[in-house]
Amino acid sequence: MKRFGPLSVAVAAAAAIGLPFLLKPFGVYLISMWAVLTIAAIGLNLTLGYAGQVSMAQGAFVGIGAYTVALLTAAGWPFFPAFILGGALCFVIGWLLGYPALRVQHHYLAFVTLAFNTLVFLVLRNEEWLTRGSYGIAGTDRPSLFGLSTDNARVFYFLCLAILILLSAATWWMLRSPWGRAFVALRENPIRALSLGLDTRRYTLMAFALGSTLGGLAGGLYAPLVQFIEPGSFSLNLSFNLLLMVIVGGSGRFFGPFVGALIAVLLPEWMRVAEGYYLIIYAMLVMVLMVFCPSGVIGLFEKAMKPKKPPAAPAAAAIKAEATPQ
Amino acid sequence: MTAVLEVNNLSKRFGGIVAVDNVSFTVNDGDILGIIGPNGSGKSTLFNCVLGQLLPSEGSVRIDGQESTGMRPCDLNRLGVSRTFQLLQVFPQLSVRDNLILAGQEHQGSMASRLFGRPDAGLGDAADQMIEFFRLTHLSDEQAGMLSYGQQKLLDAAMAFMAGPRLVLLDEPAGGVNLTMLGLLRERLQAYHAERKATFVVIEDQMEFVMALCTRVLVLAEGKIIAEGAPEEVRRNPAVIEAYLGH
Repeated sequence: MKRFGPLSVAVAAAAAIGLPFLLKPFGVYLISMWAVLTIAAIGLNLTLGYAGQVSMAQGAFVGIGAYTVALLTAAGWPFFPAFILGGALCFVIGWLLGYPALRVQHHYLAFVTLAFNTLVFLVLRNEEWLTRGSYGIAGTDRPSLFGLSTDNARVFYFLCLAILILLSAATWWMLRSPWGRAFVALRENPIRALSLGLDTRRYTLMAFALGSTLGGLAGGLYAPLVQFIEPGSFSLNLSFNLLLMVIVGGSGRFFGPFVGALIAVLLPEWMRVAEGYYLIIYAMLVMVLMVFCPSGVIGLFEKAMKPKKPPAAPAAAAIKAEATPQ
Repeated sequence: MTAVLEVNNLSKRFGGIVAVDNVSFTVNDGDILGIIGPNGSGKSTLFNCVLGQLLPSEGSVRIDGQESTGMRPCDLNRLGVSRTFQLLQVFPQLSVRDNLILAGQEHQGSMASRLFGRPDAGLGDAADQMIEFFRLTHLSDEQAGMLSYGQQKLLDAAMAFMAGPRLVLLDEPAGGVNLTMLGLLRERLQAYHAERKATFVVIEDQMEFVMALCTRVLVLAEGKIIAEGAPEEVRRNPAVIEAYLGH
């Protein structure tokens, strides 16, 4: 947090609380979507940004979480147990998906996870007895919390925001623990990490499992937010979009997903005036950002915040310190 | 004297090539054993077999009398065997201090207890002491990737010592290090050895470094041991001179 500046966090917090009172219903829907997708992007940032395991399947986990909640609440379950079960299911499936990562890395791993995403999509579409296939599932109820209904869009937004804050605080705390250091070590130099007693196998699986859990929890909020889910929502498109959020925001940076999701959710809406051209403009903006700042928007921000030191500064400071009487 | 490391009849073949050919030796408590030999003589392959990075074709490795052939590097490390690498192997984006904490944290409790324990795994003070011991105090909070090559070599060695290992294998610690830094590195290794009674095995090409540091030297050529003994003895051995100077 110290990198980002407490002021920016305060401004962002004020905006997150104040905005829903200023926006029209569609605006509230969009910032709710931002909160939900940020949770999924935090998960991918953990797997990809911190632990360095390429995953193109985050969209599939959002789907698994969404379908779990939609199906279970339709069967009469209350929301929160279904929500937690969706996350737990993704933990287990994410752990299993981690096994290929023990054998293949980088773009090979990207293809393995890509195939997994397609597999999940096909199951959602073809297993009609369970998922109702291409018809999708409509009308997932919004939960009520201590007797308070969240049918109101604004109230539901605050539920999403609260869960986002809770999950990002947990992630922050985990990244500060020795686990966070171990994940970075896994990304930077797995062979050395192994020789220092780090069980790279378990940490790799854990990185996948935890990242996927966050994807599943995001899905659990997606279903009651959109109130209509179908297999197409969780195809590769969503995975690519989440990947884009992580990379554009700043991969391996804590606040990257927050910014990345904001851009990915809002920019297409703002550019609707450009009609058919908006995807082209959007794509070009992303390309320009990646060329000039591969560390994403947060990286750009860090660069701007860092005081520019001339190369001779330490020596100059030493001379100055010596010249200054006590 | 107890043997910390015992290598028995170890061979490693890659297809038709015999990289290590029926090598046996022991390293006793407190030894600094140097392994020298011309390029391609099998030193690194031997190291990798001992350290679990490669599975030997034949033979066995024992640590403190316990069979360790085929163990994973992370399990070997927790048994007290630590190493440095020939090429630089630090974590460039972590700070110097975090590099050292990482090097010790997996020895503290279980994976679950580390998640709920202190962020520095209780190793902050130990890391600071190690930083001071290797004269890196002014660089403690720098990202390891920002350090000079020689400083990274010092950090690399410090990381190998962080968990208080029984046996440390150093793979070409002097390679590419300038003379001033080399003097410091050798002096620090000797100081560590004297203080903690640690046991080292060093692979090195640079003769002066080996002769000054090691208590015993083993010479490999074409995968076989051709000489073994005190540094001065080995230096005068005709077989060694021939292996180094050619026919």
